[in-house]
Amino acid sequence: MFKTILQVAYRNAYLRKSRALLLILMIGLSMGVMVSIEGLYDGMSMNMIDRTKRSDSGEISLYANKYRLEHVIKYRISDADKKVLALQKITGVTEALYRLEVDGLAQTARKSKPSILLGIDLDDEKKFGKFEEFLKEGELDFGKNSAFIGGGLAKKLKVKIGSKVIFTAQDSQNEIKSIALRIRAIIRSSNINFDERALYIPRGEAARFLSVKQNSATQIALRTDETHTPTLQTTLQAKYPKLSVYTFAQLYPQLQQMQTMMDVFNTITFMIVMIVVFIGILGVMYVSILDRIREFGILLSIGYAYRYIRYQIMIEALLLGLAGYFLGLFVGLLILSYLTYQGLDLTLFAEGMEAFGMSSVIYASIKSSYFISTLFAIIIASLLSVVLPLRKIKKLNPVEVIRSAG
Amino acid sequence: MIQLKGVNKYFYQGEPREVHALRDIDLTIEKGEFSVISGTSGCGKTTLLNAIGVLDSISDGEIILDGKEIANLSAEAKTEIRLHEIGFVFQAYNLVPVLTAEENIGLIMRMQGFDDAQISQRVREIATLLQIDDKLDSLPNLLSGGQQQRVAVARAVASKPKIILADEPTANLDSSNSKALMNMMQTLNEKEGVTILFASHDNYVVESVRRIIRLDDGALVT
Amino acid sequence: MFKLALKNILYYKGRSVTTFLLTFISAFFFIVYVAFMDGSHSSMLKNALDVYTGSLQIYQKEYRDKGGYDYLIEENQKVFEILSDIEGIKAYSSRLETFGIASSKKHSAAMMLTGVDFSKEAKLSQLQKALQEGLYDSTGTCLYMGSELAKKLQLTIGDEVSFVGSAIDYSFVAELFKLCGTFKTGMYDFDRQSAFMNRPYFDTIFLSQNSSSYIVSMAEQMSDNDSIAHQISRDLPTDLRVYTWEELMKSMVELMKIDSLFGYISISLFFLVIFFVIMIYGFINVSTRIKEFGILKSIGLSDRDIDRLLFYEIFILTTGALMLATPLGSWLVYYFEIYPIVIPGMSEIYKEYGVVSDEVPTRFEPLTIIWNVLVVFFLNLLSILYPMFYVRSFTPVEAMRHV
Repeated sequence: MFKTILQVAYRNAYLRKSRALLLILMIGLSMGVMVSIEGLYDGMSMNMIDRTKRSDSGEISLYANKYRLEHVIKYRISDADKKVLALQKITGVTEALYRLEVDGLAQTARKSKPSILLGIDLDDEKKFGKFEEFLKEGELDFGKNSAFIGGGLAKKLKVKIGSKVIFTAQDSQNEIKSIALRIRAIIRSSNINFDERALYIPRGEAARFLSVKQNSATQIALRTDETHTPTLQTTLQAKYPKLSVYTFAQLYPQLQQMQTMMDVFNTITFMIVMIVVFIGILGVMYVSILDRIREFGILLSIGYAYRYIRYQIMIEALLLGLAGYFLGLFVGLLILSYLTYQGLDLTLFAEGMEAFGMSSVIYASIKSSYFISTLFAIIIASLLSVVLPLRKIKKLNPVEVIRSAG
Repeated sequence: MIQLKGVNKYFYQGEPREVHALRDIDLTIEKGEFSVISGTSGCGKTTLLNAIGVLDSISDGEIILDGKEIANLSAEAKTEIRLHEIGFVFQAYNLVPVLTAEENIGLIMRMQGFDDAQISQRVREIATLLQIDDKLDSLPNLLSGGQQQRVAVARAVASKPKIILADEPTANLDSSNSKALMNMMQTLNEKEGVTILFASHDNYVVESVRRIIRLDDGALVT
Repeated sequence: MFKLALKNILYYKGRSVTTFLLTFISAFFFIVYVAFMDGSHSSMLKNALDVYTGSLQIYQKEYRDKGGYDYLIEENQKVFEILSDIEGIKAYSSRLETFGIASSKKHSAAMMLTGVDFSKEAKLSQLQKALQEGLYDSTGTCLYMGSELAKKLQLTIGDEVSFVGSAIDYSFVAELFKLCGTFKTGMYDFDRQSAFMNRPYFDTIFLSQNSSSYIVSMAEQMSDNDSIAHQISRDLPTDLRVYTWEELMKSMVELMKIDSLFGYISISLFFLVIFFVIMIYGFINVSTRIKEFGILKSIGLSDRDIDRLLFYEIFILTTGALMLATPLGSWLVYYFEIYPIVIPGMSEIYKEYGVVSDEVPTRFEPLTIIWNVLVVFFLNLLSILYPMFYVRSFTPVEAMRHV
């Protein structure tokens, strides 16, 4: 019996070819474009978040109490090296490093800009956040008295590789000090805090310049296992009462918010598209049932059970919906793979994007969830779309149908 | 007035299932005729009627209307001929569901460019003749079969075509309605001088006409 | 034919209602969406320009590339004379920027110290409105400092601040100033780096009489800005150059273009879906009427006539929906332009991106609304092409036999 129903449903679903084709095209194309947009937006915000974590905060950062408020070297973490070693042993922590940072003024012969000096350990940074990927120009090699510079700051100061920059700041003894630095590399991490302001030098030199101990730090950053992050924050805060422990979301609320907004936006998009898809299937199913109302009347009058008709129609709708889904899967994967490997190249607007912390080529992300949620939504939309037409059949009086159409 | 010379019509020409629907038809219909093409079902009546009305193409031969060959004209020219020279009445009435009886009757005249007053006058004239003047404001689905068919006839007649082609006009009607319809068609033929050609196997129709053209398996029986 | 189309619309209600509603929704949504997008962009720009940047700035040609005291404008008065002759300029003034280290007793920070004419700035920028504490229009050794910078240096009104930098002849400058007022514009970077000082005293310290880094001016109407810039360029000495806000704010303008681009990508998805649904309903409608078209064709309507009929139907439906959506959408957009939606805390979260205000205004721009509506209109007309093509594929005889 079931096989017959399936067969009848299949033939009916594709009986009106143009109609079925239009519907499948509609579902397929809209779904394809929808998941592509979803993937693109996700990719963009994930990329920004990822680069920010890698270049700065990790999932969790520790600062001396008060440092985040006043940003002065007085509030620094001592014995940072030992702390980092201890932190690395904690479950859930995958990487840890420490940095030394100070605000000051960067100057060339003609230009001056407020900036920050960031003392880093290059090997640690490479392990922590693949620092080498941020290199835009020059060489990742600190020679004597040399520095890397954020791309935005380099632009503002009109600095090139080999240029000299003087950085002036107040050290831990409240002395105003200057250091002359030769630029070896230009860095683009897409983290505007650093791209627009930072000069990077070896951590040891920064410590000497600021007259602090070699193992002093302003920040300890941790890469952690996402699942452990919330509990880690509490554990660490308890373990280090003299330090303040922040998660990425607390340090970069705007990025977190952006991600949330993208999610909300994607959900709304998804719902609207699915509602319209539902209206589309409904129209096609409704008319296709009206066309055959006499046929159903005859079937009912010769003793065919109503539930068989219901199954048959539900299967018809599903067949159409799923055909659309598979087209959408194909189109979506096609566009997304292109966007994942080639990216959307917006170099035309590079200046604007870089100034606001975005890379000029946007790569999409592909998540199986896009396709799974769409599959369920399309199944639901297909099944819902036959409710109304089925009611029509249920109300049918077989004798009347045959007579009126005869 | 209408002359068919060696008309042949094949369906699925060149395929194994080829059907030779019309065979070497030579036929002349004179002005003012009141005739029927008769034969068993499937003998080619409708095909012949559609060919005469340039609704359907023919495979070879000529159809001449008032001295002009019309079978091989372009689709646009054929449309023009159907609009201005020929009226159709179908078995299934085929009225436009969204238009009232009056609007259905006046539709062709409207497309021919007559103004409202002319159309209205003519519609009423015909409607009175066909006894549907009290139904002019009704939509087709509110009319009985007989009334719908009269509206269809009125539509065909209203624009004063040279010939009316009526394909099984009584097939969906009971005998009293059939009788009434044939009487009216006869009146039209006599009063308005309209040439009317039926295709029918209804005995009543066959008995009412002045000339019977018999068709068997696509060929004329002489 | 038009009447027949109208009757068909009333007869086939399902299709008409769906098409009408979807058209209405997409047009309405489009108008409002674009207005919010444009509105937030223009308000961001306008805020940025109003606060400090102005609508155009005049520089020595080399200044923006090379910078420094070697490329200052040295004939302020001459430029002022040119500006005073041009109509449509609300205000103008000269600014001289220097950089150095400012220190309180315990803390130091980099500071951009700008010598300004406070009375002119009051008309030109929002420096005065941004006053948070103390005095705006201070004289002598007084500084008017960004609130974030004052906080960082832990200064209160009346405290002393030392400044180390250089005068425009590159001689060393070390001076003691007094904090007399603080401001908060909401532009985070600006508030944590800048301080202002009255020009006469500034000039005595930095030896900068009658020079400036640039001259800034604000147009009365932004739309006149380009023509004003053009007039200025005509009269300006050849070593000077006018930069309009589009050039000054290039990265922000580009960011907005990107944002619009993404906005249009998103909205095109809705159009794609709605276009298909309208087409499907149109197609279904037409396919149930094939027999009717057969009759019409057999009694002498041409394919062109049928096309016209279908065109009229979609035309009437679309026009009707748009006639409802356009005024409604416009009214909403207009309303929110005057009474913007406020999202409390938004400027705090996005301060690094230059968001100054919590308001999200729309932009009411009739031309934009017209093209939005036209897009929906033409998409709808496009959706009937396939059904037209489909009807044409039937000969009259086939169509009449169609079930």
